[in-house]
Amino acid sequence: LVTEGTETARLFLGMDPAWFAGVLFVMTYVVIMTDRLNRAIVSLMAAGLMIAAGLLNQEAALRGIDFNTIGLLTGMMIIVTITKKSGIFQYLAIWSAKKVGAKPWGILVMLAVVTAVLSALLPNVTTVLMIAPVTLLITDALKVNPYPYLFAQLFAANIGGTATLIGDPPNIMIGSAANLTFNDFLVNLGPLVVVVFMATLLPIYLIWGRTLTSTPERRQRVLDYRESDALTDKRLLWQSLSVLAVVITGFALADVLHVEVATVAMFGASLLLLLDNLPRSPGEQNKVVEQTFAEIEWQTIFFFIGLFILVYGLGTTGLMEDVAHDLLELTGGNTTVTAISLLWASAVASAFVDNIPYVATMIPLIKNMAASLGGPQALVPIWWSLSLGACLGGNGTLVGSSSNLIIVSFAERTGHPIRFMPFLLMAFPLMLLSLLISTVYVYLRYL
Amino acid sequence: MTASTIMDPKPTVLHPSDTVRTATHHIMHHRYRNLPVVDDHGCYLGIFGVHCLMRLMLPPAVVMKEGLTTIPFIRETLQDLHRRLLEVEDSPISQCINELVTVVEPDTPLLETLLVLYKTRTSVPVVEKASRRLVGMISYWDVTSKILATEV
Repeated sequence: LVTEGTETARLFLGMDPAWFAGVLFVMTYVVIMTDRLNRAIVSLMAAGLMIAAGLLNQEAALRGIDFNTIGLLTGMMIIVTITKKSGIFQYLAIWSAKKVGAKPWGILVMLAVVTAVLSALLPNVTTVLMIAPVTLLITDALKVNPYPYLFAQLFAANIGGTATLIGDPPNIMIGSAANLTFNDFLVNLGPLVVVVFMATLLPIYLIWGRTLTSTPERRQRVLDYRESDALTDKRLLWQSLSVLAVVITGFALADVLHVEVATVAMFGASLLLLLDNLPRSPGEQNKVVEQTFAEIEWQTIFFFIGLFILVYGLGTTGLMEDVAHDLLELTGGNTTVTAISLLWASAVASAFVDNIPYVATMIPLIKNMAASLGGPQALVPIWWSLSLGACLGGNGTLVGSSSNLIIVSFAERTGHPIRFMPFLLMAFPLMLLSLLISTVYVYLRYL
Repeated sequence: MTASTIMDPKPTVLHPSDTVRTATHHIMHHRYRNLPVVDDHGCYLGIFGVHCLMRLMLPPAVVMKEGLTTIPFIRETLQDLHRRLLEVEDSPISQCINELVTVVEPDTPLLETLLVLYKTRTSVPVVEKASRRLVGMISYWDVTSKILATEV
């Protein structure tokens, strides 16, 4: 009798629950890694099999879904979808390029900074989707190679996303599972992220920065851009910025106000939807709301839902406790060894496999380590290690994160393809550098 | 009646190795909207037309997939656009062939051909299914003039 929440259902064909869940879990991972099937389909199918096989019933499966993560992701996606219509992202990119006199290296740094800051507050994929086309427009005008710019932005997106609870999906999951607040992330990871970002720019300067040049005439073409004209809807701009300010403040005060971050994000989303649609006729409202909802990344949302059910089902078999116990035996139950090992292992794993399923799996494993390591407080450095490894590891390879793939596709479209191996040879050592800095930081601050 | 009844069986064609300059000359001189592009064996590859010329005059960041949807912040002059076209005029047209235009087969019924013309809003290549050989082109003008010339 294995179905959580009922006493009647039996596992399909009388199979051992742990064995069944383990095999299903591994197979799901393998299929996701092969990229032959859409990952949302794979995770939903795995979740369905968990229920169909009798390991979970529907009620239990729904309990496994972390609606705080789902609500936060969906809310932020709606806010960004509406905000981007105002032209603010193009404005920021052009403004920053002009601030440095349209000098090639200065533009690279400024666009990387803009990407990092926006990635900390918004989804990485959205950030690069907005900034990369402006970058290509500017590099085309300057007649400089866009590769270093895209390379720096790829790193900036993943590094910036590490700094906050909402910056990267792994952080959203970790924050929700470990009750770590927006402020916790900002205070604990923010300073480190600044150091890692600056340390990453140095090798980029040494490799490319000194050779980036353009003529005064070409720079003038960029200086002639009128950034204020990029703001196509100023009313919407102020509404979006106001709602974003309310939402960020809400995240910062969520702990004091005793509200979940998903509530804050969804409230912000509904407020912005209201402001955006208030002056429109009911017919037009239907159309605009439909368009806004159509831009939500439903594939990602359903991927999460399936994954949460799969991992929850796996957890009910007791397999996670066994694996956690085995892992602790490997590290001798030492918090320092566990945290540092997890940081590096997570980074290497996240460089090659999707960090979302990886983190979804590691969360219950780490929770199971609490008792052996001395309680939930002892897990704090472990959580930061997981976050740093999973987020920064995405810089190691081209397939390390979704935003990397977006940048690769942009580079391809402009005739400057980013190849796997040349990128790996440049990016992996840089990723190792960021891990080295993170290791020193985690060790000195928490261990 | 079929597509072959109303097509121009000897259309002006371009080859992938033709330069943008050559294509521009044909398009502007004869006011063509689109010209079919064929390989050395006469097999259909796609079309090159005024839309392709527009594309070459715009920054790549605008015309690429998921590129910038609006660029009101750039103020360029006619000279700037001409300069951009001059930069690519010696390039082969193969870089900008549109392969997504709907084609009809020689035996496509007349009304279906008219529907394709109506939907695609451009001249339609007539291509043999098996050999992919271009056998003609059908423009709005060909069809309309032939319809009007027919006695009722």
